Amino acid sequence: MTTVALDRTSRRRRRRRVSSRVLKYAALAFAAVVVLLPVYVLLVASFKGAGEADPSRAWALPESWSLDAWREAWNGEQYGLLPFLKNSLKLVIPATLISTVIGSLNGFVLSRWRFPGADLVFLFLLFGLFIPYQAVMIPLTQIFIDVDFPEGIPRLAFAHIVYGIPITTLIFRSYYATIPEDLIEAARMDRAGMLRTYWSVVLPISAPAFVVTAIWQFTSIWNDFLFAVFIVTDPGQWPVTVALNNTTGSLVTPYNVQMAAALIASLPTLIVYILLGRYFMRGLMAGALKG
Amino acid sequence: MADIQLDKLAKRFPNGFEAVKELTLEIAEAELLVLVGPSGCGKTTALRMIAGLEDISSGDLYIGGKRMNDVLERDRDIAMVFQNYALYPHMTVAQNIAFSLKLARRPKQEIRERVQETTRLLGLEDLLDRRPKQLSGGQRQRVAMGRAIIRKPQVFLMDEPLSNLDAQLRVHMRGEIEALQKRLGVTTVYVTHDQIEAMTMGDRVAVMRSGELQQVDTPTHVYDHPANLFVAGFIGSPPMNLARGTIERADDGLLVRIGSSAVPIPAEIARERDLDPWVGRELIVGIRPEDLEGPGEDGRHAGGALIRAKIDRVEALGANLLGFFTVDAPPATSEAIAEATGGGLEEVALITREGTPFCATFEPRVALRVGDEVDVAVDVRRFHFFDPDSETAIGG
Amino acid sequence: MRKIRRWGPGLLLVSPSILLVAVFVYGLIGWNIKVSLSDWRQAEETSGFDTSAYKELFPSGVGETGEYVSGVATGEQSDTLSTDPAWIIDLHHALLFTVAFVLGALIIGASLAFLLDKGVKGEGMFRAIYLFPMAVSFIAAGVVWRWLMNPAPGDRATGFNLLFDKLGLGFLRNDWYLGQDWGAAALALPAMWALSGYIMALYLAGFRGVPEELREAARMDGASEWRVYRHVVFPHLRPVTLSALIILGHISIKVFDLIVAIGGKQLITQTPAVYMWILIYDARDYAKGAAIATLLLVGISVLIVPYLIYTVRSERRV
Repeated sequence: MTTVALDRTSRRRRRRRVSSRVLKYAALAFAAVVVLLPVYVLLVASFKGAGEADPSRAWALPESWSLDAWREAWNGEQYGLLPFLKNSLKLVIPATLISTVIGSLNGFVLSRWRFPGADLVFLFLLFGLFIPYQAVMIPLTQIFIDVDFPEGIPRLAFAHIVYGIPITTLIFRSYYATIPEDLIEAARMDRAGMLRTYWSVVLPISAPAFVVTAIWQFTSIWNDFLFAVFIVTDPGQWPVTVALNNTTGSLVTPYNVQMAAALIASLPTLIVYILLGRYFMRGLMAGALKG
Repeated sequence: MADIQLDKLAKRFPNGFEAVKELTLEIAEAELLVLVGPSGCGKTTALRMIAGLEDISSGDLYIGGKRMNDVLERDRDIAMVFQNYALYPHMTVAQNIAFSLKLARRPKQEIRERVQETTRLLGLEDLLDRRPKQLSGGQRQRVAMGRAIIRKPQVFLMDEPLSNLDAQLRVHMRGEIEALQKRLGVTTVYVTHDQIEAMTMGDRVAVMRSGELQQVDTPTHVYDHPANLFVAGFIGSPPMNLARGTIERADDGLLVRIGSSAVPIPAEIARERDLDPWVGRELIVGIRPEDLEGPGEDGRHAGGALIRAKIDRVEALGANLLGFFTVDAPPATSEAIAEATGGGLEEVALITREGTPFCATFEPRVALRVGDEVDVAVDVRRFHFFDPDSETAIGG
Repeated sequence: MRKIRRWGPGLLLVSPSILLVAVFVYGLIGWNIKVSLSDWRQAEETSGFDTSAYKELFPSGVGETGEYVSGVATGEQSDTLSTDPAWIIDLHHALLFTVAFVLGALIIGASLAFLLDKGVKGEGMFRAIYLFPMAVSFIAAGVVWRWLMNPAPGDRATGFNLLFDKLGLGFLRNDWYLGQDWGAAALALPAMWALSGYIMALYLAGFRGVPEELREAARMDGASEWRVYRHVVFPHLRPVTLSALIILGHISIKVFDLIVAIGGKQLITQTPAVYMWILIYDARDYAKGAAIATLLLVGISVLIVPYLIYTVRSERRV
C-alpha cells in the first residue's frame, strides 16, 4: 500500500519539479528574448536599403540585405561617424589609463598605507560619485575658459579623469582591502618604503582590479553624453555619443542609418564586453561595485 | 648582535584596551627568549612593539643600548618571521629571500652568494624557482625564515612561526630553529602559545598573562619554581594538580592535609618554605602528575608518603600512563587556573564525586583499570604551596 | 613626531586627488549654489543676491497644467511670484519615472536572480545576455527605444505597436512616451532594460552569499523550499535591496542622456535634469539652471549621505 502511495507522490513531485523547471527556463528565455529584441531591431533595420523604409515592414527581415546604411553611418559625407569615433578613441584611451592609475594609487594608500583620517578622506572622495554632474558643468566650463585649457577632447579627458577619481578609488580600495596586512608589514620590515611596496609587492598582484576598473572606465567614458555635450562646443571635436544624438542618430536621419550608427557607436564597448566581460562579471558578482 | 631592554613598555589601544601593561624585560645578546602565554595575553603586541609595527604607548625600548621608541621599523635592523609567513605571492623563492638585499642595492654577485648560502642552510636549494603557492607549509615556513636570516640582523623576531604546521613537522622544526639560532647567534624573541615549544626551545621563558609578565626564568626553573598559580597551571603537561589544603601542627612537626590524606613535612622543608605562619590556615597545594607516582609493574612504590586513590579514568599514551582519581579536598578554583589550563580540569571533573580531580603517572605497561584502588607515592619536596589570596608561591 | 615619516608619503600621494575633488566637486557645487542665489538670469553676470530662481520653482499654489509648449520651455520672468508650469510637469515626470524605473528594475533584477539562483544550464549565457545592455550607451539605446516606442497611429504604426498588432495583441497599443499620463513611465522601460542586469548581478551575489548550511538546516527542520526562501534567504537580502534602491534612486534623479535621446527637448518628456540643460543653453537662465542643479543635489544627498555613513560605520565594525 505504502509503496504505491510513495510512488504516486514521487511521480507527482517529479512532475512538479519538471514543470517548475520548464516554467523557469521559459521565463528566462522570455526575458532573454525581450532583452535581445532591441538588438534584433538594430541589426535588421541597419541592413535594410533605402527603399525599405515602410514602417509597416519594420519587424520583417530585409528583402534585400544592403550595406548602404552601414557605409553611410561609417564614412558617409552627411552622417559618417568615423571622425567622431576617432575623437572618442583619443578621449577614452588616455583618460582610462590615467584615471585607473590614479585610482590604484589612491586605493592603495587609503587601504594599506593609511594615515590619520584616511577613512574620512575616502568618504570625502566618494561623495563625488553621487553628485548630479549637471550641477558642476557650468562653472567647470567657465574654469576651462578662464585658464585657457586646450579646447575639446583635452577638456573632456580632464573632466573624466577628475570625476573618475571616486569610482576608481572605490574599486581599488575594496580590492586592496583583501591583501593581508602582514604582506605589507613584511615589506616594511624588508625596508621597503611606500612607493617601493606599491611597485614591487602590490602592483604585481593588482591585475583583477585593473581589469575591472579599466573596463568600467572605458565603458563609462565612451558612453558618456552629459559631460561631452556641455564641455565640447566645437562639433568637429564631438565624441561619438554626441554625434550620434545630434546628427547621425537624430530623427531626421533615415532610420536604417540611425540604427547602423547606433550599432557602430556601441561596437567598441560591446567588443570589450564580449572579450573581457567574464572578468568584469566576476568583479561585479564579487561585489566590487556594491556601493 | 644586540641585547634588548624593555623598560615598563606599555600598549594602550584607542578604545582603551591595555594589551601590554608596564612590561620590563631584558634579553641578552644571542639569547633565545620565548614569550609564551594564552591568546590575548599581549605577547604578539609586545613583539610588534619591538619590531616597530605597533607604536609604544609608554615606556622605553632599547636595542643594543640605543633607544628605539621613535625609530621606524625599517631602521631598527630587525628581521621578522610572520605567523602566516607573508611571502610575496608573485615572486619566486629566490626573489622572496633576496628582496631585502635588492632593496639595499647590494651587488648582484653578493646577493647571489648570500641567497645560495641561506638556501643551503635551510635545505631550499631545489625550490629556488618555485612560487609560494607551489610550496608546502613547511617549505613556506623555511622560506620565511630564509628571508629573515639573509639580512643578518641584530635581532630576530618570530611570531608563532610553527602554529600553522602539522604536529610532527612542528616537532622537527623546533629542533631546526633552535639549532639555527645557536649557530647564527642572533638575539631572538620567539612568541608562542604552546608551552611545550616554550620549554624546549628557550634559553629563558617569559610567561605572560593579560598584558602582564608573570615570570621570566630558565625553563627548568619556571617548571620547578612557578611564581604563581597561573604559571603553575600553564607550564607542564598534563597540568599541575591543585587543591585546597591546610597546614597542621602535629607532635613531630608540620603536616599538610589534603582532604582525608595527611602528608608529613620534613623540618628542613618546613623551614625552607617558611610554612610556620601558615599553620591552621588554608592554602593551595600543588603537585605535578610526574611527581605522583603509582605503583610500578612489580607493584612496588617509589617511596615517600602515600595517598590512596580510586581510579576514575585512565589515559594510555604509549610513552606513559595517566591515572585520574578524585581527591576529597576542595578544588583550587580561580580565574588564573582556568585560563592557564583552558578550563580543562573543570570540564573533565566527574560530577558524581565531590572533590578535585587529580592525575598521577604510572609506568606505561601497568595494568590499570577504572575502579582500581592504588596507593600513589608523593615526594614532599616536590610540593608547591600558594597563597590563596595573592596566588603567589609560598617559599622557594 | 617621527610618525609623520610613516604616513606622510601616503597623504602626499593622495593629496592631488583631494585637491582636485575639493575644487571640482565641492568648490564647484558651492559656486553653483552661489549662482542659484544670484540674479544672473541673462547673459550678463550680475552679483546681487536673489532667490527669485527658487521662488519660481517652488509651487505656491496649484499651477497650471496641461498646456504643452512644444519645443523650448520659456523661462519667462515675471515680477510676481508665480509657479513655473514646466517645472511642475517636470516634477511629475520625474516622480513617475522614478517609481516605475526603481520598482521595475528591482523586481525584474531580483526575479531573474531568483530564477538563476539554483543554477541552470547555460547560466553563463543568460547572465551575459542580461548584463550586456550595461555596455551600451543611453544614447544608442535611445535611438532604438525611441523607434520601438513610436506612437505613430493607424497605418503608420511601427515599433512595439506594430508588433502587438502582428501578434494579435493590438489592444496593447498606446502612445508610449508621448502619452499624456504615463509617458514618463514608458521612459522607464529602456532604463529598466539597461540596468536590470546589474540589479540581477547584485541579487545573485546576495543569494549566493547565503551560507548553504543555513538553508540545509532549515530544510532539515521541515521547511518547504518557499519557506526556506522566505525565512532564511530573503532576510539576508535586505542590505542588497538597500544598496539597489540607493543606486537606482540616484541614477533616476540624475538621468539625462536617455531622456534627451528619446524625447529631445519636448516638454512632454521633460524632467528637471533636462530642463536645467535647456535653461542654460537655450534660455541662458543661469540662476534658475543652477537652482535646479542644487535641488537635484539636495535630493541625492538626502538619499546618499545617510547611506554612506551607514556603510563606512558598518565597515569599521567589521
